Amino acid sequence: MTPFSSSGPVVRSDAPGLRLSTPSPPQSAPPFSSSTGPVVRSETAPGFRSPAPPPSYVPPSPTTAPFSGFPAPQFPSAQPRLWAHPPPPPPPAGGQVPPPPVPLRPPMGFPSPPQNVNYAPPTTNVPQPSFPGPGFIRPQSGADSQPPAVQSPFPFVAQKGGYAPAPPVAAPLGFQSRDQMQHPSPGPGAIQGLVEDFNSLSIGSVPGSIEPGVDLKALPRPLDGDVEPKLLAETYPMNCNPRFLRLTTSGIPSSQSLASRWHLPLGAVVCPLAEAPDGEEVPVINFTSTGIIRCRRCRTYVNPYVTFTDAGRKWRCNLCSLLNDVPGEYFAHLDATGRRIDLDQRPELTQGSVEFVAPTEYMVRPPMPPLYFFLIDVSICAVRSGMIEVVAKTIRSCLDKLPGFPRTQIGFATFDSTIHFYNLKSSLTQPQMMVVSDLDDIFVPLPDDLLVNLSESRIVVETFLDSLPTMFQDNLNVESAFGPALKASLMLMSQLGGKLLIFQNMLPSLGVGRLKLRGDDLRVYGTDKEHALRLPEDPFYKQMAADFTKFQIGVNIYAFSDKYTDIASLGTLAKYTGGQVNYYPGFQSAIHGEKLRHELARDLTRETAWEAVMRIRCGKGVRFTSYHGNFMLRSTDLLALPAVDCDKAFAMQLSLEEALMTTQTVYFQVALLYTASCGERRIRVHTAAAPVVADLGEMFRQADTGAIVTLLSRLAIEKTLSSKLEDARNSLQLRIVKAFKDYRNLYSVQHRLGGRIIYPESLRFLLLYGLALSKSIPLCGGYADAALDERCTAGFTMMTLPVKKLLKLLYPNLIRLDEYLLKTSSPDDLSSIEKRLPLAAASLDSRGLYLYDDGFRFVVWFGRALSPDIAMNLLGPDCAAELSKVTLSERDNETSRKLMKIIKKFRESDPSYYPLCQLVRQGEQPREGYLLLKNLVEDPMGGTSGYVEWILQIHRQVQQNP
Amino acid sequence: MGWNLIFWVLCFFVDLALLSSNFYQLVILSDLEADYLNPYESSSRINFLIVPEIVVHGLLCALFLLTWHWFLFLITLPLTCYAAMLYMKRKHLIDVTEVFRDLSFEKKYRLVKLGFYLLLLFIIIFRVFTAAKMSFYRSESGELDIRSAFLEF
Repeated sequence: MTPFSSSGPVVRSDAPGLRLSTPSPPQSAPPFSSSTGPVVRSETAPGFRSPAPPPSYVPPSPTTAPFSGFPAPQFPSAQPRLWAHPPPPPPPAGGQVPPPPVPLRPPMGFPSPPQNVNYAPPTTNVPQPSFPGPGFIRPQSGADSQPPAVQSPFPFVAQKGGYAPAPPVAAPLGFQSRDQMQHPSPGPGAIQGLVEDFNSLSIGSVPGSIEPGVDLKALPRPLDGDVEPKLLAETYPMNCNPRFLRLTTSGIPSSQSLASRWHLPLGAVVCPLAEAPDGEEVPVINFTSTGIIRCRRCRTYVNPYVTFTDAGRKWRCNLCSLLNDVPGEYFAHLDATGRRIDLDQRPELTQGSVEFVAPTEYMVRPPMPPLYFFLIDVSICAVRSGMIEVVAKTIRSCLDKLPGFPRTQIGFATFDSTIHFYNLKSSLTQPQMMVVSDLDDIFVPLPDDLLVNLSESRIVVETFLDSLPTMFQDNLNVESAFGPALKASLMLMSQLGGKLLIFQNMLPSLGVGRLKLRGDDLRVYGTDKEHALRLPEDPFYKQMAADFTKFQIGVNIYAFSDKYTDIASLGTLAKYTGGQVNYYPGFQSAIHGEKLRHELARDLTRETAWEAVMRIRCGKGVRFTSYHGNFMLRSTDLLALPAVDCDKAFAMQLSLEEALMTTQTVYFQVALLYTASCGERRIRVHTAAAPVVADLGEMFRQADTGAIVTLLSRLAIEKTLSSKLEDARNSLQLRIVKAFKDYRNLYSVQHRLGGRIIYPESLRFLLLYGLALSKSIPLCGGYADAALDERCTAGFTMMTLPVKKLLKLLYPNLIRLDEYLLKTSSPDDLSSIEKRLPLAAASLDSRGLYLYDDGFRFVVWFGRALSPDIAMNLLGPDCAAELSKVTLSERDNETSRKLMKIIKKFRESDPSYYPLCQLVRQGEQPREGYLLLKNLVEDPMGGTSGYVEWILQIHRQVQQNP
Repeated sequence: MGWNLIFWVLCFFVDLALLSSNFYQLVILSDLEADYLNPYESSSRINFLIVPEIVVHGLLCALFLLTWHWFLFLITLPLTCYAAMLYMKRKHLIDVTEVFRDLSFEKKYRLVKLGFYLLLLFIIIFRVFTAAKMSFYRSESGELDIRSAFLEF
């Protein structure tokens, strides 16, 4: 007991989330079976310094320890016995499942109500009070007298309703299985009410204890990543792929009163240019002869859901049900079933996603060539960090891959306290530099030759890029005339539009748009002025952003400073022009160079849609009311997107216009009109249909967690721009609570819900994602939890991320690697590393090597007791050094090659960002804390609740009467 | 004697100007909503009018105070304060990037102002007539009309 008595308080004192290190070397612990309660806590809570556990140690058992923040100060000495409970064998399917000893559901006198899946013996859940009295014994005996009330950890064969989705394929722990299993009823007439239509989680208080508990293992976790709803695609097979359009619920409410009971956002997430895997490309259709077939009234494009009547001479618009004439050239006869006979040659009538080649009516000017303009900061910080060199080399290496050859145009300008333009005319042998130092009255010195055709001026451009790093290497200028340079770029690009890439290294200090240091004021936090920090300080930036959009210029910001650069202001430029913000705090070319290289190359070479506008139409009765993402609204429902690519998604909310819907199906059609890099004007059209439902339960059944979380996150981030962080988190929580409350009300009458939190199968991860969202960088904590610039960057980024990437960022992958690395099997057998672990400190075993991957960075965590061979093989002689200075590189041995291969594979699986590898060793404070431990969302950290507490909190609020 | 009439006629025209400016802005906002105007055009047109409108309204308010028309001063004061507050917070102009998000509020705000100026216009018209009648009476009988004295507050 003594060695641990001091570490007891550690659990409580880990307030900032970074555990105080108690340098307890691996001690020879007392045999686990006899160890006392506090042992459990001291082992696991202060950061996994567990003594090498005895073999009988069941790994998941310490999971409870991080949650022992429940005021259950003493553990009964008998407690550890419970850890050793093996998961009880699944009862034969259909066998009677005895009720668990939950006080609210008495075990006797009740003909076996339909048990929910999740009952583990409650005794394993909760620390129990230490008084071994009658009150303690009774429940124990109760639990013992019956077989453990656990149902099969494997999904039962679910009895599906019409829309019931199949149970998730891999429910690793088996708790998510639908509740519709059939139990042969023990008593006659008990069938009614046995089939429950929801999932539930028992919050059963353990008898004798005040604190309710939750079975940790039974908590739903999205360990398979995002699961796209399949139901809608099955019902409407001609819908576009969910990668393009996802509805928050596929069941559109039939009345306004129903919609008002659905407290989650009602809307869609659209990623119009999402990358399709090979073989599923969107077909391009050229309607040269007929013109594009559209509805006369609502301008809907022809799509699979239109119906042809009158022997094929007319077609009925599916959105507004207007009868349109079929143009003569488009006419085809109908067969006996009313289908056109040429259906198989018409992809626009069979597929939900098509691309039309737009004729000249869709152009206000000739299609623009792809144009890239680079605005590069060359002040002393930029030179010192090595940013200029990386940028110049990357651009040079990408010149061949820029889209739109041979029309591509390119131009450069650099700035410090003056602005430098470069004449890249093809007749020159080397570029001419022109300096403009009058910042108040900016002019463009040479209007024609600053933006040149890349294929013509290729040699000059290459010469320029080769000389750029050396040109400014002795520059000592510490000023930044960013605003004037921005204005000059606008003047230069306003003829054509294009993409403006800004490389910014310090706070703008000269001319219009200069900014001041404002982010480091601690006192503002928590007051009403807090949100102003996240808004642009100078209206200049909003005005510029509007002007950029007007002239079809998309802005991407690359910021590199190690000091405050006011991303809130700079990012505004990207926000309203459909761009993105990449931030590399404290850029060092040796460390971050690779990341910048890949991300810039991706930005330059990915397929980009130029001068685009997007509109989403929907059928009668519903209307899109608000749009969320990086774009500017050109009219009430038209999104202006000067440059848009496959990594951008847009969210929108819809509302019902009429009190009662008259149609059975609502159709949505996204149309993106853009100029492809090849110079063709195109319209990409995605069409989807969704049924109208009259029942809230059905809406919940058809909900899509991914889309809901995306919309919720965007709404919450927008809320941080107008109010305090805390308010944003609270309103997020409130929304979830309201939704769960209404869901509960649906069932509370017929079912005995007692101490259970119930949720629809489709939303089983919503709670966890909600928790992860409130712990994400844009929303978390207060002043100290994230630097203002990082917060703003993360906000801007999360406003554009497609569903899958966002979910991965919120609940990253945690994978154990050491077993795979040691295994001698073929390196292609990745099955052992495909298993994702719950994001809790308890998943980390000190003998292991783990990879944390949130899509933006990797953290490789070296356990304290990791076999030295692995460390040696991976790090070479550096393995004893401090890991912050070590970079991972391939070494000449199998282990290292394997690891690098995995990392490469993960990087390739999602090329939109290039995750850098950071290494951290167990117990290496404070790095371990902020790199990894802070991101383990299931653990309580520095005042935020952990997963169990969060569930309890939600449950409590759900049960409260309104 | 004639000054009173001139003052009220002046007020009448100022109020008419404010009224028409508001009406014009409302029309622009409706056009924007109906997609007849793009946000750049409409917000630049509206923003061009906003500061002059605030100034004119402030002047009108000050004029009422200086001429000791307490009632009119007090009913114009809240709007003056509100406009001044918006100006201080630099929120008086229409934000072109977020114009659609604020559209319904801006329309309501202008509608309320329109109603207010209309009310003011009626009061002022009444005053104009009273003043005209008074000067007419005075020139005729030299007597003061009891009603107009009452209405002077």
